[in-house]
Amino acid sequence: MTPSTWGRDLTLGARFALTGGRSGLLRTLLTAAGVGFGVALLLLASSLPSMLFQREVREAARAADAAHEIEAPRPDTFLHYTQHSSYRGTALSGLLLKPEGPKAPTPPGTAGMPAEGEMLVSPALGRLLDSPDGALLKERLPYEVAGTIGEAGLIGPNELRYVAHAGFLTTDNYDGRAERYGWSVPEEPMNAFLLLLVVIAYVVLLLPVLVFIATAARFGGEQRDRRLAALRLVGADNGTTRRIAAGESLAGALLGLVVGAGLFLVSRQFAGAVEIWDVNAFPSDVVPHAALALLVLAVVPVASVVVTLFALRGVAIEPLGVVRAATPRRRRLWWRVLILAAGAALLAPTVGGIRMEDTAIDTVAIGGGTVLVLVGLTGLLPWLVEAVVKRLRGGPVSWQLAVRRLQLSSGTAARAVSGIVVAAAGAIALQMLFQAMERDFTSLTGHDTTRAQLQTSLDARDGDEARRTIDRLASVDGVTRVIGTTDAHVFRPGPLREGEDFAPITQLSVGDCASLREYAVLPSCADGDVFVALPPKGATDAPDATWIEQTARPGAEVALRDPDRRGTVPTWRIPADARKVEARRDPAGLHRYGLLATTGSLDVRQLDDPSAEVMVRFDPASPDAPELVRNAALAIDPTATVRGLSDTEQSSRFLSVRTGILVGSTLTMLLVAASLLVATLEQLRDRKRLLSSLVAFGTRRTTLSWSVLWQTAVPIGVGLALAVAGGIGLGSVLLAMTGQRVQDWWVFLPVVGVGAGLIAAVTLLSLPLLWRLMRADGLRTE
Amino acid sequence: MTTEPLLRATGLTKAYGATPALSGADFALRAGEVVAVMGPSGSGKSTLLHCLAGIVRPDAGTLAYDGRDLTALSDTARSALRRTDFGFVFQFGQLVPELSCAENVALPLRLNGEKRKAAEARAVEWLARLEVDDTADKRPGEISGGQGQRVAVARALVTAPRVIFADEPTGALDSLNGERVMRLLTEASRDTGAAVVLVTHEARVAAWSDREVVVRDGSVRDTEWAA
Repeated sequence: MTPSTWGRDLTLGARFALTGGRSGLLRTLLTAAGVGFGVALLLLASSLPSMLFQREVREAARAADAAHEIEAPRPDTFLHYTQHSSYRGTALSGLLLKPEGPKAPTPPGTAGMPAEGEMLVSPALGRLLDSPDGALLKERLPYEVAGTIGEAGLIGPNELRYVAHAGFLTTDNYDGRAERYGWSVPEEPMNAFLLLLVVIAYVVLLLPVLVFIATAARFGGEQRDRRLAALRLVGADNGTTRRIAAGESLAGALLGLVVGAGLFLVSRQFAGAVEIWDVNAFPSDVVPHAALALLVLAVVPVASVVVTLFALRGVAIEPLGVVRAATPRRRRLWWRVLILAAGAALLAPTVGGIRMEDTAIDTVAIGGGTVLVLVGLTGLLPWLVEAVVKRLRGGPVSWQLAVRRLQLSSGTAARAVSGIVVAAAGAIALQMLFQAMERDFTSLTGHDTTRAQLQTSLDARDGDEARRTIDRLASVDGVTRVIGTTDAHVFRPGPLREGEDFAPITQLSVGDCASLREYAVLPSCADGDVFVALPPKGATDAPDATWIEQTARPGAEVALRDPDRRGTVPTWRIPADARKVEARRDPAGLHRYGLLATTGSLDVRQLDDPSAEVMVRFDPASPDAPELVRNAALAIDPTATVRGLSDTEQSSRFLSVRTGILVGSTLTMLLVAASLLVATLEQLRDRKRLLSSLVAFGTRRTTLSWSVLWQTAVPIGVGLALAVAGGIGLGSVLLAMTGQRVQDWWVFLPVVGVGAGLIAAVTLLSLPLLWRLMRADGLRTE
Repeated sequence: MTTEPLLRATGLTKAYGATPALSGADFALRAGEVVAVMGPSGSGKSTLLHCLAGIVRPDAGTLAYDGRDLTALSDTARSALRRTDFGFVFQFGQLVPELSCAENVALPLRLNGEKRKAAEARAVEWLARLEVDDTADKRPGEISGGQGQRVAVARALVTAPRVIFADEPTGALDSLNGERVMRLLTEASRDTGAAVVLVTHEARVAAWSDREVVVRDGSVRDTEWAA
């Protein structure tokens, strides 16, 4: 067999695909559409790394270069301060700048430095500020909008971002001094659990696409076989017809690549409109990974040829028609189990080996193992469907027709359903993993949102100002409770002792009894009381308690400012009746150790460099209360950071992942349903004459409709059962890797629900054609 | 002949789009009678058969079966009638490929609500009667064309119909097998008292009938019932 013979036959097949009449062209277009959809998905998925990388690049390019410290102002330097905040749940970031000379560089994406008190905004922020929805945000940003930030200064088209010229920036409240932009702090590496989730998600969502492409390459196979029989009649040998068939598929696949590239180019234009997990991208950043794209370009056409040749194995194309082996070859179980076992063997060593704090996982073993398990399940399906339908007996006529059809040839249905197995099993495993992680991540935050939902820390010139800050935030509309203390540090007075580099230090928090109770377990509390909060037994995050005890001793005197600093050091004597208490986690999940003093016990005006530590709780009926608090905090200090304590942020992120998984697996299952529908319609069209003759002797429409339903339901049912078993098994292994336990055994129900919906959808969509084919026209031969 | 016809059609017309298939066809069939409908290709023979069997509703004309107006019956009622009173044999593609021959023959009985075992037992009896009992467990793809047609005849007769409609039943067979199928079909129908409407364009097949009618350009020349 020479390459030129191959080339000639493949070309001939390709020509048939395009010029083989209406049905041939329809089949080619169908294949192209299916392959194109799959290719577009693959190209989009292969663009994800570049999309995320480009975000990092953009982030790095716009960050002020802090690689080296610049001691003194120069004509080309500027002070900078980065603000991260949120507005009604959407992330908001800002860069405050203060040029120190005329040569200070302009930030990326801007034409020039805004004038003092002005800001440049991203288009999305501009739109928000111009709309009634942005009224509260407008209050928070006390700068005039002077222009727009271009693409070079943004990480995504929907980003809420501002660059403001802040005259109040000083070396006391800045992040740093810089002379240029373009530097990045390395991103915090992805947590191992999230990495695991991402790897599995990739495998689970993309594998069915490959299965779908393989199925699409076989669309219209039965009609094609008849065409090939005609070729045999005019002298083509068996090998030639197979190569011609492969050429037909190849044409569809190549056309599919073009369609896929087109779909990809169109869909990337909408990259900015889609936002997943607060991430969206500029179309120019959605670029497929070159190696992955080349792989897709190479694999898809080759796969179409291989799949076609593989499909024709059990088919003898004879000059007078197509003969399928009367009894299909018995499917072997051993190699299917072997793939599953290989997958399990790859996954087994990783069991118990992944910890939350890890930043890398064995991607090859986990990804490869998961792929093998899912492929093994897919391989197991035709065997299982065959084994199940072989045992099915009895039942009404509709059942008998469907079962016998499946007994004769369950391969087509099983192949179409195999994508469902991968998608459903993967989705179940992902959901199990996700649920366990959700619990973990929520508890990890340690936030107690029943006690407070927002936290801020504002520097004050003195204790009075700190007190006023607390009162100001307490008076914001919608705030129902405030935990507020004036915090500072106290030192052991006197000279340093031998071996000491600095004086022992501990924290001092001054507040009312209600606020202090949030920091420690107080047996009783009255104004004037003082407590020494010590680490609870078994606390792992406690500092050296000896320092606390050296400084905060009842009856001892403490310095209210660093004794090393020049000037008079104010002191305060801790009351001798100060009680030692056990610290408790505050609403932010942290312990505060040291001195807890009620307001009557200490004059806060004496404190040096105090800060107001405020945590607030809101009235659920005031959804804008968090924004009002942020506004108030930023009005007091434009560089203030206000942190949401709510674990709902974490939960909502996971909620979006969960929704994403379900949507992703549903979309994949829809793909599978599409191929199943095509297979069913093709089979019905093929049986036009038979259906008409069945109707002629009085077969009811309902009987044949039920038959179609059973024919769809049996393989999908078997597939879902396999997917549930396989998914739960895989999920359990993945959980075991991270030392987790199954949270919810019923996690498969939504997936099964989607599967049931698909059965109904495929049947319903088949019915119009079925009923059309049941007309007497099918009996006409002339 | 003075016996009232079992099936009578008067002035049947039927068109497929702009193409007329029947234009005023008259036809009558007595109980137990074998009538051959002859005519060249495209003359409207099959359309006449489809109209007579209630598969296709004529555009105009009357059609009475056993005193009932077939054109007035609903689709469901006509389907029920075809299950109980009519049997069918077509040229090809009529057997369900995934069912065994016995199951194929039992199919009309099962559609009429008969239990599977009883239906298949009767099917096997009919297969034996039509000399194809060795095909009972085979699928249609595993038997010859002649055997397949005899299985189809068995299926048409298994419900003891009053009329059998056979559309070119030997069209795909060689002469020897064609003769055999016709012999078995006519013998069995005479034994059971079923009438047969036999559409064919072959004179040697028509020779098995009691009388012949000729369809030409959608009109039927039924000399016996004319006038």
